[in-house]
Amino acid sequence: MKHLLLKLEPLIWLLFGQGILIGTMLLTGWILVVGVLAPMGLVSQGALGFARAHSLGSSLLGRLFLLGLLVLPLWKGAHHVRSLSIDFGGVERDAAVASLLYAIAAVGSLLAVVAVVRL
Amino acid sequence: MARPVNPHAMTPSRPGRTRTAPPQAPNGWYAQPRMLRYLLFDATGIVYLLVGFVALRVVWALGSGPAAWAELMRQLRNPLYVAFHLLALVCVVFVAVRFFRLFPKAQPGHIGPAKPPPGPVILAGLYAAWIGVTLVVTAILAGWVLR
Repeated sequence: MKHLLLKLEPLIWLLFGQGILIGTMLLTGWILVVGVLAPMGLVSQGALGFARAHSLGSSLLGRLFLLGLLVLPLWKGAHHVRSLSIDFGGVERDAAVASLLYAIAAVGSLLAVVAVVRL
Repeated sequence: MARPVNPHAMTPSRPGRTRTAPPQAPNGWYAQPRMLRYLLFDATGIVYLLVGFVALRVVWALGSGPAAWAELMRQLRNPLYVAFHLLALVCVVFVAVRFFRLFPKAQPGHIGPAKPPPGPVILAGLYAAWIGVTLVVTAILAGWVLR
């Protein structure tokens, strides 16, 4: 497993790096509106109404935006939690922890592709 | 209490002439300000994982039709969800500020024949991109444009 992780490291680092850079850029506005302003009633009712949200999300740009928004933060999260696990738990169990975290990110990414395609 | 650290973390490039004891983390290493900031940066990974899956739930509900979407919007009004998203917002800003400051320092001396721009230019570019993307995303999602 360790060997496989080393082989996949360039891909994992690419997704992790883009998770920090692009993921953070996309997430800020998303969290602000979908997670905070809309639930607190600070944006108009129709802004996130189904018809408008679906029309925005199912456009080509909308799908690309959502794919980046869903996939990249998962890899940033998985890699940083792995790092946290090494800091506190050492490297002995790293292969098992890393495999589990990357598996979670990979499954989430697959579900994200399905979620975006079915829009 | 002092404990062994990652044995590869401080391995010299060549074996030394004398044997040395394996590296040990000092007592309370995690509470030192630099380490604490570093650990908090790593800990944002937990929030990113969670926020990624919450966003996945949102998009899944959007693909499931108006009833599922309305139910999800109702659930997002729960104060626990709002508090989580406020925490996530703080994490995202923390990650951006810390990573953008690190980014110019991580650039190679040159990329082929070209040299990367000076650090302050890269930093200004990253902030401009982040603020720009955030404004555009916020304006579109909040219905200020593309109504």
